[in-house]
Amino acid sequence: MASLKRSLQSDDPYAANIASKVYVRSTKSGKVQKIVREVYLRTDIPCSSKLCRQCLDAAPRDAAGRRVGFVLSERPAGTKVYPQGHYLVPDTNAFLSAMDLFEHGSAFYDVVVLQIVLEELRNRSLPLYNRLVALTKSDEKRFYVFFNEFRLETYITRDDGETVNDRNDRAVRKAAKWYGQHLAKTQPGQAPAVVMLSNDRDNLRKAKLDGIPACSLAEYVGQLKDGEALLDMIPESQDRDITREKKPGESLYPEYFSMSKTMTGVKNGLLHQGIFNVSPYNYLEGSIRVPAFPKALLILGRENINRAIDGDVVVVEVLPKDQWKVPSTQVIEEESITKDENPDAEEGDNIVSQQERKALQEEVRRTHSKSSESLAQPTARVVGVIKRNWRQYVGHIDQSSVSQTGQQGRKQDSVFVIPMDKKIPKIRLRTRQVAELLGKRILIGIDAWDRSSRHPTGHFIRSLGELETKAAETEALLLEYDVQYRPFPKTVLDCLPKEGHDWKVPASTDDPGWRDREDLRDLLICSIDPIGCQDIDDALHSRPLANGNIEVGVHIADVSHFVKPNNAMDAEASIRATSVYLVDKRIDMLPMLLGTDLCSLKPYVERYAFSVIWEMNADADIVNARFTKSVIKSREAFSYEQAQLRVDDASQQDELTKSIRTLLALSRKLKQKRLDAGALSLSSPEVKVQMESETSDPIDVKLKKLLDTMSLVEEFMLLANTSVAAKIYSAFPQTAILRRHAAPPKTNFDELANQLRVKKGLELNVESSRALADSLDACVEPSEPFFNTLIRIMATRCMMSAEYFCSGTQAYPEFRHYGLASEIYTHFTSPIRRYADLVAHRQLAAAIEYEAVDPSVRSRGRLEAVCKNINVRHRNAQLAGRASIAYYVGQALRGKATDEDGFVMKIFSNGFVVLVPRFGIEGLIRLRDLADPEPQAEYDAETNTLTTSGSREVKVELFQKVRVRVTDQKDETTGKRGVKMELL
Amino acid sequence: MPLDTSAYGLALLRVDGRRWNELRRMHAQIRTQAAADGSSYLEMGHTKVMCVVTGPSEPGPRRGGLGGTASGGGASSAQSKDAEVAVSIVVAGFSSVDRKRPGRGDKRILELQSTISSALAASLHTHLFPHSTISISLHVLSQDGSLLAALINAATLACVDAGIPMTDYVVACTAGSTSTYAANDEAADPLLDLNHQEEQELPGLTVATLGQTDRVAVLVCESRVQVSRLEGMLAVGVDGCKQVREILDRVVRDKGHRMLLEGTVERGAGLDDMEVD
Repeated sequence: MASLKRSLQSDDPYAANIASKVYVRSTKSGKVQKIVREVYLRTDIPCSSKLCRQCLDAAPRDAAGRRVGFVLSERPAGTKVYPQGHYLVPDTNAFLSAMDLFEHGSAFYDVVVLQIVLEELRNRSLPLYNRLVALTKSDEKRFYVFFNEFRLETYITRDDGETVNDRNDRAVRKAAKWYGQHLAKTQPGQAPAVVMLSNDRDNLRKAKLDGIPACSLAEYVGQLKDGEALLDMIPESQDRDITREKKPGESLYPEYFSMSKTMTGVKNGLLHQGIFNVSPYNYLEGSIRVPAFPKALLILGRENINRAIDGDVVVVEVLPKDQWKVPSTQVIEEESITKDENPDAEEGDNIVSQQERKALQEEVRRTHSKSSESLAQPTARVVGVIKRNWRQYVGHIDQSSVSQTGQQGRKQDSVFVIPMDKKIPKIRLRTRQVAELLGKRILIGIDAWDRSSRHPTGHFIRSLGELETKAAETEALLLEYDVQYRPFPKTVLDCLPKEGHDWKVPASTDDPGWRDREDLRDLLICSIDPIGCQDIDDALHSRPLANGNIEVGVHIADVSHFVKPNNAMDAEASIRATSVYLVDKRIDMLPMLLGTDLCSLKPYVERYAFSVIWEMNADADIVNARFTKSVIKSREAFSYEQAQLRVDDASQQDELTKSIRTLLALSRKLKQKRLDAGALSLSSPEVKVQMESETSDPIDVKLKKLLDTMSLVEEFMLLANTSVAAKIYSAFPQTAILRRHAAPPKTNFDELANQLRVKKGLELNVESSRALADSLDACVEPSEPFFNTLIRIMATRCMMSAEYFCSGTQAYPEFRHYGLASEIYTHFTSPIRRYADLVAHRQLAAAIEYEAVDPSVRSRGRLEAVCKNINVRHRNAQLAGRASIAYYVGQALRGKATDEDGFVMKIFSNGFVVLVPRFGIEGLIRLRDLADPEPQAEYDAETNTLTTSGSREVKVELFQKVRVRVTDQKDETTGKRGVKMELL
Repeated sequence: MPLDTSAYGLALLRVDGRRWNELRRMHAQIRTQAAADGSSYLEMGHTKVMCVVTGPSEPGPRRGGLGGTASGGGASSAQSKDAEVAVSIVVAGFSSVDRKRPGRGDKRILELQSTISSALAASLHTHLFPHSTISISLHVLSQDGSLLAALINAATLACVDAGIPMTDYVVACTAGSTSTYAANDEAADPLLDLNHQEEQELPGLTVATLGQTDRVAVLVCESRVQVSRLEGMLAVGVDGCKQVREILDRVVRDKGHRMLLEGTVERGAGLDDMEVD
């Protein structure tokens, strides 16, 4: 019988070229799997150097016969040590620790990224991997991925007893060596050096033994011409690996549990996993929502927070009941408490500083004075970090942390950086350029947070410019909210129509652009938008029909005609997800040409549109609705104010005005219907900053006025969105892109309802949105018209935020939009500035069989990813917009002091928060701001009153109207400008 | 963990180091079981299958096992004029990463059986053996993608070994595309011979042809793929089938040559034409 047993025979022509990759991985359920994969070794993987003739001939081609271009330049830059030029071969650690360096524009060109490095990087950090892949795709940086594991000469097998890391390091050295020899063959004598970059001492030593040129990141940067500036970007921990041995036994924080211990703990339900959030008022208090409990767990104090930073995914352990506490009623700001710390000091024994202790004592006293134990909430402590969510942070150097010598010399110095985001702790930064960076906005990254150091350590990335200059602050804002603000790359601009601004709707209706489009150019269509609006998304019309009903049309810019799925422009738009509106700047989702011209439904010109046309009866009931692509010609672009004037002016009797009046009448009925169904009218303080037209300096702050015409437009947009949502959901039950607003959990309102009952004797009924709307309407105080708005603002903060989702991911009842009291809802009406609308356009076009369904709008996994991204971006855009207004309000107040009415929104035991409606700002007034010395205070949590005695006697209650003086103030130690309020 | 299939664009290399138009290493043997009428063993990369053919023979009493419920639906019943091709597939519990036994009547296995049965019935001269059954028993020893293709190839070889007259080899391989359905990438390259990882992540199809011709005997596509990419994939697949035929043909001829040398068979009239170099 013939034997099946067979090894790779020697006569097999492939025998030498086949290897196996064997590795072990563990699955989510804890099972261990052994994976065996084939590896085909080859000799036709090019070195990609333009110097090399030999590889060029053997370069691979794709299925269409195109050859891959070579990447590495023939004349690479030289350094002091390698004047003949050099290529870099970094190892994994180099990328892990200093990706910012590689992205820097002034150095790090001609880099060979080895496959093994890419693989290791992908395992360690997916975001870094993605950044590196993006680098390899950009033409200018000349990064080349060399598949060393597939090249016969550079493939190595793991030796007995060799760790995976050692094997991979050896592979890197082997590849670097091969590169050197290969290039030496092609260009004898003058080949560029191939320099291995590593921060691993052992690896460097072995490389030197093998005669491979190698250096550490710091050494290498030192050889560059402008090296000094780059030196700061090398992360802190790196230096330490080489220069400083860790001193044992000086840990300030408890050690994290091992990964397996946390995993089993979470599985058994003994530990809990969730996202760590820091309280905006108290940096020593965090909370974490875990699936096991309905309410969030409290995490109090440095030791319990144990190096977690806002946004990290952590694992916590619930503390014993005797350590349960009430959430703090104190305001604790890091800046004021840890002001005098020395960044160089490494105090061994106590992480909790004296001041922090004192703050804690207050807490304890307060807790103990409480008779009822029941108020205490479960607390927890962090025992492990699953995933760090560190990003780049914007901040500035704390002036007080800078030593005198640091201000002059170029010696490396430790300083503290105070991030803009109050929830992020101070970051210790070692830099040689203290003098230059003082008073600047800077961007930094966090590298590590050791058990032995009280604060995380970070490294400098770049400077944004002087504090308080418009450019620096705006950029800081955009970075902080992760808004993509760089100019559109060329690949995106290439997707625009070639005609540019001269593009017109084709004159001949036989043109393919006219296919299946209705000609609506005869209709009296107009648009109503805020003053100065350039990206006009929507236009409206109405006309009476013969049967007595009214035809109403909403026409939306046909963006999907210009932005085809899956091209570079679409990809960019899906990443940006939304346009961001700042006070003085707009960051567009789509290039200007489209947003403000070709798509924008400008008056007097023909434009492509996507129309929703209803037939309505006089009671604003929809008789029928249809959707069509169309060509329209807007008659006029009104501002809200113009439209309002025109409607109010009885002498205007032209058709256009009449049709607006009809629309207005219908919109009132629609609104009433919506309110009857339980729609909420919510509120947030909205202000508008007036700018000087020449210098665009802010001069005044105005409250936004509400006009009837605004609600006209809003009502019809809501109606269009609802109609479209129903249509695309019926066409694509699994993949329609919709927007939902979940009903808030009742407990969210507990505090507010309780406060209203105690203070004002008012009941807040949160049974349904209708009940809530009614009880909010009842919350009035005759003497104070703003009181109602105040309650609405506070109620809004108790709500969930609305979100985009893909219909297959939720059950139908969950589709409900709570705030609008609509069963189903989507966004359709602003495709120029929101990506979700663009997707909805594509789905609607497919639903009415205008075009074939594009796979990208049918694939559920992809839509879920899109929704996730746009939800985040949408929120960030809102926050950025608000932060921008807050900044400009501050600037407008500069040098002025005004007395304004304010309302108390929240009371702490050592201060209270006041909202000033005139400026739409909130400010904190602390006890110590009231008088000097700080008055004694009695805080009554039951009735929410703070009564001070001693140096100043006041009584402050929740919802109370107070008179405050608003000034702006620059804190000298932090260099921050902020609004300051004083109680009068 | 190695990179995934999205890295293809970086250097036109697949996850295992192949180019887009390369087969995995293919190894085959015939007459591995001397006692059987026909047998074969075939490897396509790490996909390893074994095949034993019994017959053509009189159909035995109908019971479980071969020719029973587990067999793929033959073209006709035992009473008909054509021989029935009964296929049974056994997947070894150790063949994939997770050790598991498929339950009885696994729908996927049933479908594979019937696909193979009808594909072979088209090439085998079943009309020569009325009222009889050709039992093809396939054993999957190891799985790493392109399972159906490997099974078809092994079954063809075993039928050749069993000496059942047939028009031509039925040869199969898989083809795929370098980017996912949702990516809708215009420039996606077609891929030949998918391994397990590629099958999981990318769209793919299995195609079988009759020998050197372009006649497609089997075309199975279980994933979503753009119509525009299908043509390229099919062309690459058919081209791959031709390469597979060359390999199988070489295996058969080598074996024949060796048997002549060993004297297991006598040089017959028909065998004179067989050029063995």
